[in-house]
Amino acid sequence: MVDQSIAGPVMASVSEGDRSGRARIVILLLCLGLAAAVFLSLTSGASDASAVNVIGGWLFGTVPGDAAVSARDSLIVYDIRLPRIILGMLVGAALAVSGAVMQGLFRNPLADPGLIGVSAGSSLGAVAVIVLGATILAPVTALLGTLALPLAAFCGGLATTLVLYQVATRRGQTSVATMLLAGIALAALAMALTGILIFMADDRQLRDLTFWQLGSLGGATWAKIASVGPIIVLALAAMPFLARGLNALALGEATAGHLGIPVQRLKYMAIVGVSAAVGASVAVSGGIGFVGIVVPHLLRLLIGPDNRYLLPASALLGASLLLLADAVARTIVAPAELPIGIVTAIAGAPFFLWILLRKRGVVDL
Amino acid sequence: MIEAKDVSVDIAGKPIVSGVDFHARPGEIAAIVGPNGSGKTTFLKALSGELAYTGHVALNGRDLSTMKPVEVAVHRAVLPQATTLSFPFTVREVVKLGLVGGRSGALPGEDARLPERALARVDLDGFAGRFYQELSGGEQQRVQLARVLCQVWAPVLDGKPRFLFLDEPVSSLDIKHQLIIMNIARDFARRGGGVVAILHDLNLTAMYAERIFVMHRGRLAATGSPRDVLSDDLIEKVFDCRLRVGVLPAGNMPFVLPQSAA
Repeated sequence: MVDQSIAGPVMASVSEGDRSGRARIVILLLCLGLAAAVFLSLTSGASDASAVNVIGGWLFGTVPGDAAVSARDSLIVYDIRLPRIILGMLVGAALAVSGAVMQGLFRNPLADPGLIGVSAGSSLGAVAVIVLGATILAPVTALLGTLALPLAAFCGGLATTLVLYQVATRRGQTSVATMLLAGIALAALAMALTGILIFMADDRQLRDLTFWQLGSLGGATWAKIASVGPIIVLALAAMPFLARGLNALALGEATAGHLGIPVQRLKYMAIVGVSAAVGASVAVSGGIGFVGIVVPHLLRLLIGPDNRYLLPASALLGASLLLLADAVARTIVAPAELPIGIVTAIAGAPFFLWILLRKRGVVDL
Repeated sequence: MIEAKDVSVDIAGKPIVSGVDFHARPGEIAAIVGPNGSGKTTFLKALSGELAYTGHVALNGRDLSTMKPVEVAVHRAVLPQATTLSFPFTVREVVKLGLVGGRSGALPGEDARLPERALARVDLDGFAGRFYQELSGGEQQRVQLARVLCQVWAPVLDGKPRFLFLDEPVSSLDIKHQLIIMNIARDFARRGGGVVAILHDLNLTAMYAERIFVMHRGRLAATGSPRDVLSDDLIEKVFDCRLRVGVLPAGNMPFVLPQSAA
């Protein structure tokens, strides 16, 4: 069994079919891309505030030009643009990674929190708190404070995912048709219940709700980041531990078990993680669709389906793309702004159709 | 050593396997044969910990039902009948999944080249960069075998034998590759491991197996060496087919047996 000739210097060479080297390079480039997207977002917006001057001021303590203008600029950059950028990165990363994890869990590249009703379930939870927070749910909101909204969204998403998984998976095999159809049914149910709540809402709540449902990063504040940031960061930090298990799961649940993966625990961790990340994202930014399907799909074409690289790469690309989409949303009709959900849907929906056209076989699995 | 006593499996209230006693020793290929629907695959799934069973299964002296998946994975690897893949993995990436449990038993530093070596053994040299989904059924089956070999690369680990569970490993293969795969199994057993294989080809079974377990309607119909078990009576009873063992075809009808392989 000892074969020294092979264990020698050959090991250093790149192996055919091994895409890990390429994946590392892509991840490095995505880091640079994210830095560029952050810079672009920081420096663009409805006002002419100069982020370069403001940052220069923070870094070097010098305030060039008019001190009053600089104070205003500083406020815009620090209290408006920066929280919005951080929230955008968190939400983009959460949605993209959640998409990749769900696709691994359901063993299908079409699974996406937005498409199969998880986001709708989260919305229901969030809307319930917004509308009923002052009346029926007052004790809950009093107890949980700012955490009530993300927690309600988490519970809504978790319930939807659990029901969906039970319905769509039989003996370790997930039927894609059942998954998509059950997702449609669950989303319809969640939206109907949400509709009842909206019906009960007063005028002030209505405008908020409408805008929020379309998806927006507009309400970003440091307080919101403080309430959902830890949830998203925790969920994202846990997901890389699922990567190897999700890779094995691509061979089927039984085979993953044979390889030594604790499949049940893996599935529950994935479902809870996705529900937390999606719930928290929906709670602060509403329905931003298609990030979870477009980002992992593009990356799989580039670096392959190995989740050890796919998950971090998805986080980086998801964060970058959402920042770019938000930059478009903020500037295209300035000084007004478009809900970002509209931007991601306009770009994402045709992309989704293109996937279906190219890989029609995937749906028939 | 694998010992199963009085193993039964019910699926949806129907008894599929009833009261099967079974053992597999290191150094041997134990073949499970029987007609379609006789419970062979279900029994193997119980043995691999995939299905709930009643009765007792011991894997190297430990009660299977108390072992964690990661512990079981150290002692045995399983080749299913067919494996579909949900994402476009390359052949090398699939084979490397065999190492996910981390106890191949190869020498330190050898793991990195293990996928290539395993692929060479199943006669798929140069396939590492191909996409799994683009291969033929027989090639996919051999890729999966390479993955399984990576998982238990050393047939003996920490002084204990390891086992290969093979569910119809040669069913979609041409005769050359049937022999290659069966020789891999024999080699694994000769180096101290054990093999449990579901086989349909009685000639291959007679040629390679040290011990045959014949299943019929969920029960064990016979067990023993090929010489003892493969009789006209048993084959007629189990397979419902009047075949004669060791009789040459009449006239000059050609026949080709794997035993004639040089």
